[in-house]
Amino acid sequence: MLFRPNPSLGVPIYLQLMEQVKHAVETGALRPGEQLPGIRPLAEELVINPNTVAKAYRELEHEGVIELRHGAGAFVSANARAKKVTDSLRAGQTIVASAVERLRARGLSEDEIRRLFEAELAGLRTPGGHRG
Amino acid sequence: MLWRKSWLETRTRFLIGLFLLLLLAAGNVFEYPRVSALIPATRSIDTGGALGGLIRKAVELQRDYRGFIWWQWFRQNLTQTWTLFAVLLGTGGLLSQTSGGAASFTLSMPVSRTRVIGVRAATAIAELLALALVPSLVLPLLSPAVGQSYGIADALVHGACVFAAGLIFFSLAFLLSSVFNDIWRPALMACVVAVVLAIGEQIVADGSRYGIFGAMTAEVYFRTGGLPWPGLFVSAAASAVMLYGAAVNIAEQDF
Amino acid sequence: MADRRTIETLDLRKSFGTTEALRGLNLDVPAGSIFGFLGRNGAGKTTTIKILLGMTRPTAGEARVFGLPANARDSSVEIRRRTGFVSEDKELYEYMTVDEIVRFTAAFYPKWQGELEQRYLRTFELPLATRIKALSRGARTKLALLLALCRGAELLVLDEPTSGLDPAMTEEVLQALVAHVARQETTIFFSSHQIAEVDQIADRIAIIDRGRAVVAGELEELRERYRRIQLVFDGGAPQPAFRAPGVERMRREGRVLTVLSSAGAERIVDEARALNPVSVDVVPVTLKEIFLETVSAED
Repeated sequence: MLFRPNPSLGVPIYLQLMEQVKHAVETGALRPGEQLPGIRPLAEELVINPNTVAKAYRELEHEGVIELRHGAGAFVSANARAKKVTDSLRAGQTIVASAVERLRARGLSEDEIRRLFEAELAGLRTPGGHRG
Repeated sequence: MLWRKSWLETRTRFLIGLFLLLLLAAGNVFEYPRVSALIPATRSIDTGGALGGLIRKAVELQRDYRGFIWWQWFRQNLTQTWTLFAVLLGTGGLLSQTSGGAASFTLSMPVSRTRVIGVRAATAIAELLALALVPSLVLPLLSPAVGQSYGIADALVHGACVFAAGLIFFSLAFLLSSVFNDIWRPALMACVVAVVLAIGEQIVADGSRYGIFGAMTAEVYFRTGGLPWPGLFVSAAASAVMLYGAAVNIAEQDF
Repeated sequence: MADRRTIETLDLRKSFGTTEALRGLNLDVPAGSIFGFLGRNGAGKTTTIKILLGMTRPTAGEARVFGLPANARDSSVEIRRRTGFVSEDKELYEYMTVDEIVRFTAAFYPKWQGELEQRYLRTFELPLATRIKALSRGARTKLALLLALCRGAELLVLDEPTSGLDPAMTEEVLQALVAHVARQETTIFFSSHQIAEVDQIADRIAIIDRGRAVVAGELEELRERYRRIQLVFDGGAPQPAFRAPGVERMRREGRVLTVLSSAGAERIVDEARALNPVSVDVVPVTLKEIFLETVSAED
């Protein structure tokens, strides 16, 4: 269910994994309380570094999307924070969908649209960054 | 496991040498009846000079069986063939395996380089001892078949002298193999040295008594029962120095 | 992650005659990491590996593995006792069979893992009775890998582990490596000039160019730090001297100025705005681009 992250996007792999998990939670592919694949098996399956998976899981726990139960594994959080994230995601998806549609209507290609989004995100990510 | 590896790497040369020498030894023994029939006919040869002297000496020696064996086998066949194989077994060590070889695999094992080449040298030396002694033991074994007898002690002492004195050529090839990373140059150079030494011992007065080949053929033992100590000593000392040199070279080498 | 350093080099130098292969290499490989060592052919990767394993002596500087000096005879044997190695050419003893070389190698390692050996023989489909001479390149690589992985070693040093392999086999090898790290406390140090595989499994990297490390650090962190800043101008693009640090490369083509920054992209952007560009683009940079930009084009 989780896809191979693409290293050549220039976006850290752990972020891509996090996005995938959040997306899965949002679309209901992963339900609250359900168990995620273990770090080691997932790393083996995706053929990526186990430390990367571990980092993604840690960050997801920090954001409240999942819970790491010692000895038992990683589980999707049942609490409201995750749901809040899910709701925001759902709303966000609508916004993105319409933005992409409008950009397409302007004749922009998929690559160009992707670059715009990435540039925007990269610009925003650095602390104190702003765009004129 | 290093022993097994060294055996696998040298066994072809060893077995070919063993087979060859066994054939030659048996051949020598079975040649005797024909040669001894020819001896009376040569009594009337009257050539002069050094060549004549040599022919007369050879004929005189080979009147009796022991002399014949010494002249044909120990002095020529065994000494020459064994020296060739001493050189061949001294080549093909660690250094020659660097380009397109498995030196880096060996060197990644948790063993010291000295141990690697030490085992390699010891294996070859054991094989060379066998190459000197085993075919020589064919003589006491087969001589009765031509109505003669040859002493086991003589066979062993002569064989041991070939081995002990000739070891210098193995050590030379081994040392050269730690300097040149192919197998041809060490072999060729060691052979050239052997040939030059052989010629030199013939030319220089008393060369055949004190020299390496003199010690290998052990003429002094054949005649008097004493051992060729000078040659044996020189070979032992030189071999020790050269083998040590090879160890130092390999230890210092950048692979 | 433990703060022990499995591999450490300080100002490592190596000259072969007049050629300087290493000119002050500094490496820092923490325990438990998968460390990708990138560089062009001839940049010094294999020389470094040979020094770490005691096959070559450095001219100057220090190299330590497990805290032990790599160029001292005794400690080098100890290092090799705890290290698995696969050489660049994957040369093994041609005259031995698969079974013989497995037995040979296992004899040197008391911690040899028999069950792992059985598993890899099965997964890699290695025929026991075949002579190594008769194996294909892919099979040879997998055998060399098996011999390294089953030693019970704390460190694996791999020189171009997937070179010459087709994509399916490359994936098999990477999978075996990731699985190995996932199950045991192992550090993997592998050299490569295949960016894709480093991208995929490494968590730390160093890029070596002309005998020195020009980029080093955690891969994810590098991905977050490196940025390409593209500035388009009305007229011809200027070539300013930025005061902000982190400018690695600048290229000017007509109206476009492209800056590769290794850190502090926003400060550079601030400075750049003073030049009144028509548009400012800040995009992430892939490892491949970092590599191509930071290694030299000529010797």
